[in-house]
Amino acid sequence: MTISRRDRRSRVGVVIALLVAGHFYVRPWIENRIAPDLLLLAMLIVAMRSRPGIGAVVGFVTGLASDVLTPARFGSGALAHTVVGYLAAWGRAVFFPDNLLVNAGLFAAATWVRTLLVLLASGASPAELAGTLLVWAPIQSVTTALAGVIVVMLFRNWLAIRLDE
Amino acid sequence: MSSGLGRSLSRSDTLLLVVCLVLSFAALLLPSRWALGFAASVRATALAPMVWLQQNAEVQRTSRLQLKAIAASRDSAALAAQSLTALRTENTQLRGLLALKQRVIFPTLAAEVLHQTAATDGRTLLLSAGTRDGVQVGNPVVSPDGLMGLVVSAEPFSSVAMTWAHPDFAASAVTENGSVLGIVAPAINTSASNAFLELRGVPYRDTVAVGTLVMTSGLTGVYPKGIPIGRVRGIRREEMGWERVYHVSPLANPGLVSHVLVYLAREFRPVAPGRREPVR
Repeated sequence: MTISRRDRRSRVGVVIALLVAGHFYVRPWIENRIAPDLLLLAMLIVAMRSRPGIGAVVGFVTGLASDVLTPARFGSGALAHTVVGYLAAWGRAVFFPDNLLVNAGLFAAATWVRTLLVLLASGASPAELAGTLLVWAPIQSVTTALAGVIVVMLFRNWLAIRLDE
Repeated sequence: MSSGLGRSLSRSDTLLLVVCLVLSFAALLLPSRWALGFAASVRATALAPMVWLQQNAEVQRTSRLQLKAIAASRDSAALAAQSLTALRTENTQLRGLLALKQRVIFPTLAAEVLHQTAATDGRTLLLSAGTRDGVQVGNPVVSPDGLMGLVVSAEPFSSVAMTWAHPDFAASAVTENGSVLGIVAPAINTSASNAFLELRGVPYRDTVAVGTLVMTSGLTGVYPKGIPIGRVRGIRREEMGWERVYHVSPLANPGLVSHVLVYLAREFRPVAPGRREPVR
């Protein structure tokens, strides 16, 4: 049975909508500093299925939403997510195979790099940078990667991800 | 042919990346007032359903998970309030004797804190109350532990508060016995997990003991007098032999707070020594 392109897109849309809803409704139940970033995860899933340019645009929009909700240094989120979205789409096209562990690694690395770029663009001090990047960012990266693995496992047919055994 | 198409796709990708990067840098360079205005309008329109969803999640989480903590807190407050009547009567009598005006009680509003995943969450907090509830830009925000900051942006259903962890934060402060005045501001070069404040501008001749409570002085009219800010932990540095800067541990933690109180008055101008009145 072949699935039309339109059906596939609407299925991906449903997964993205679930992740966005989960980000705003489920995540607040978890301790904030270790909660997975489902919005970033949704962005990565879209970026990984797109061309790098589209990945950058999706990243920019996601980052802008993040800046609107945390306007401590407006524009830092947009910059960080743009770079991460572009790199995720480009890296996925060039390097990464369809493998669960590789996907998890990509989610974790993207979360950590995003935090690094947000802090750099926000003018964080070296001590703050080190404290966050060595303690809280790795924890958030792991929880985001775990959430990503669960999403990929649950919706791999919908997301058209062919996982290597 | 296909190679030409690949090059054109690659060019369009690079172009899109450059456009997004330029827009991001432009956003970084936006004056803070414009950035806050833009953020407020997007929160009030495109992101309104998401903010509403998170507000509901916070309300449900509080009502389910924090019920015991709230009950314990209410019991403690009830116990503390038992001695309040006697104190109030005594205060009224003393004020009568000294011909002072009645103490002004500022109206407050409780709001949930809608934490975000960004690493800079804690410098600013998204609050569940907005202009529809009476919140205005400039309203002081406090937690049960002490001063949190002030509202910098408000829209109908939500608002943003700048906390003491924000680099732009500053508050006029006084020690609990009223002997030493200074300015409290966040210390630079501290880790996020060990953020602290500095009490600056203390004359060299004045000494502040370790453990002294530092409160808002009410002198600038931004914050009402007497909100606890933190406790002195020691001397941080001395400036050229004419000023001491003290290390202050803040009492309120913006990263962990779930509820805050917003003062609905905007200015707290000193009328005369010992008297403060809000200007609405």
